[in-house]
Amino acid sequence: MYLIRLALASLANRRFTAWLTVFAIALSVCLLLAVERIRTETRSSFASTISGTDLIVGARSGSINLLLYSVFRLGNATNNIRWDSFETIARDPKVKWAIPISLGDSHRGYRVMGTSRAYFEHYQYGRGQALQLAQGQTFADDPFAVVLGAEVAEALHYQLGQQLVLAHGVATISLSKHDDKPFTVVGILKRTGTPVDRTLHISLQGMQALHIDWQNGVPAQGKGRISAEQARSMDLQPHAITAAMLGLNSKIATFSVQRQINEFRGEPLLAILPGVALQELWSLMGSAEKALFVVSLFVVLTGLIGMLTAILTSLNERRREMAILRSVGARPWHIASLLIVEAFALALAGVLLGLALLYLGIALAQGYVQANYGLFLPLALPSRYEWTLLGAILAAALLMGALPAWRAYRQSLADGLSIRL
Amino acid sequence: MSALIELTELGFAWPGQAELLDIPAFTLQQGESLFLKGPSGSGKTTLLGLLGGVQKPGRGHIHLLGADLSSMSAGARDHFRVDHTGYIFQQFNLLPFLSVRENVELPCHFSKLRTQRAQQRHGSVSQAASALLSHLGLVDPALQARRADSLSIGQQQRVAAARALIGQPELVIADEPTSALDSDARETFLQLLFAECRAAGSSLLFVSHDQSLAPLFDRSLSLSDLNRASRPPEL
Repeated sequence: MYLIRLALASLANRRFTAWLTVFAIALSVCLLLAVERIRTETRSSFASTISGTDLIVGARSGSINLLLYSVFRLGNATNNIRWDSFETIARDPKVKWAIPISLGDSHRGYRVMGTSRAYFEHYQYGRGQALQLAQGQTFADDPFAVVLGAEVAEALHYQLGQQLVLAHGVATISLSKHDDKPFTVVGILKRTGTPVDRTLHISLQGMQALHIDWQNGVPAQGKGRISAEQARSMDLQPHAITAAMLGLNSKIATFSVQRQINEFRGEPLLAILPGVALQELWSLMGSAEKALFVVSLFVVLTGLIGMLTAILTSLNERRREMAILRSVGARPWHIASLLIVEAFALALAGVLLGLALLYLGIALAQGYVQANYGLFLPLALPSRYEWTLLGAILAAALLMGALPAWRAYRQSLADGLSIRL
Repeated sequence: MSALIELTELGFAWPGQAELLDIPAFTLQQGESLFLKGPSGSGKTTLLGLLGGVQKPGRGHIHLLGADLSSMSAGARDHFRVDHTGYIFQQFNLLPFLSVRENVELPCHFSKLRTQRAQQRHGSVSQAASALLSHLGLVDPALQARRADSLSIGQQQRVAAARALIGQPELVIADEPTSALDSDARETFLQLLFAECRAAGSSLLFVSHDQSLAPLFDRSLSLSDLNRASRPPEL
């Protein structure tokens, strides 16, 4: 339609401010969509961190704390579980499988987890996906074997057969290293997008062997030291573990087993349902995530108000343009529509440029985000929710365009054809 | 000749002010060119606004082509204006961001009648624009495609004249169109304007304070003689 042509030509005549306005809207739209996308992806990757596990058992503390250290490798356990307690629970007829977990060591900032082969058989993430090996195999009888998570192998450029030394404690820079007992890489897991990727897995026996000559938190000196060779021939049965994951024969039994563990007589234990604890944790982070979303909504609003300001300030200097249009037959509603079209065109260009920026940003940052935050941002078309957001932005722009349109309408009625400077 | 414009007992006042216009009778014949002398502040712009149907008279009647503007709705007056009237203003008549030709074509986008007439006479609207521009001395097609604000003032006024004349409106209203031109250009512009008005059969209502132009017109009038509301000049 001719009005659109006129509005665009008039905008092109003011292209510097027009582009600034479009760019401000584009940036705000890009921010909103990026926040939205990261939010959605975080939530879904968060919810798919662990699946198939019915209960997580640890020493009695808080459920979120237990979830954090057992699943997310964050923070530390306050206490251990005795091995015989674990065996008692694992032998319960309602328990189908039990994975022991022993934490406390690290390697160049990545956590080391002692576990059994049951871990590779039963641990699941996502929608019931099991762990898979990309190379090599899981650890067998030798205690000094390590299976790497995908990210560890990639970031540190480790290959099968390579030897590495674990550090005591979980600090990134550790002063005490287990350098007398190096481990050999026997397997590398496929990428999961979960904290598993950032973990080094060793056997419980390996974990025990590392600390067999330690007393009161420091390694023995001189004669007391036990070499790796000696350790191999010793009894490496652990006395305690940090946590355990349980799979039950029947989901219905979950609550009774949970109660049973919480009332365990041997020592104070805590059993949590991972799904429930994940929900609790997410509700903690959820408010931050909502705040972020609200902030980005306000940024969009700011962008649109910038547009409104630009159009309103242009009105006065465009009185002549309006009067000329009136003299060639444009009616006041034509003038009003011109301004609505202008607002819509600016917002549409802003939205399109914003989308382009978003995809450019995702394409550039995808690898980095995946490597550093374990978050996969897909280069997918906007979701229905995102389309709704974009539609709402355009609708808001139309609504805002109504204000200058109304003013121009009044102005052109009052000015008529007189175009005094 | 029959009357194109007929004013009877016209009165107009801006809200809260004394009556600015009080014109008992005024007529403009079809095909006539009239020089209307009006010093600034004499209510000349208001009169043109009334003739264009932008304002409504407080009392009396304005007949344009036999139709009573004072009884029409605002929308109908807007329609009527573009169908039957072309305007040329003092200066800055053109939309700077459109090409010369697009500026000339503007009225046809808002008036079916003028589009039809332009097509009947020249085949198409853009041919009509080119023909008018050529008659007015802007022959070069490259110049016709240039941005309107790249032209000199004299050229811009000729573009404005072409725009007022496209689609042969019955009335061309010119409000001091020559005041920004030097005297040579003024004469040339007027001759071209007369020729084109004659070709299109349009009446010309030319408002100016430059009395030296008056002899070139069929008839010459002074707004202060016409308007009973105008105060005697204070000396």
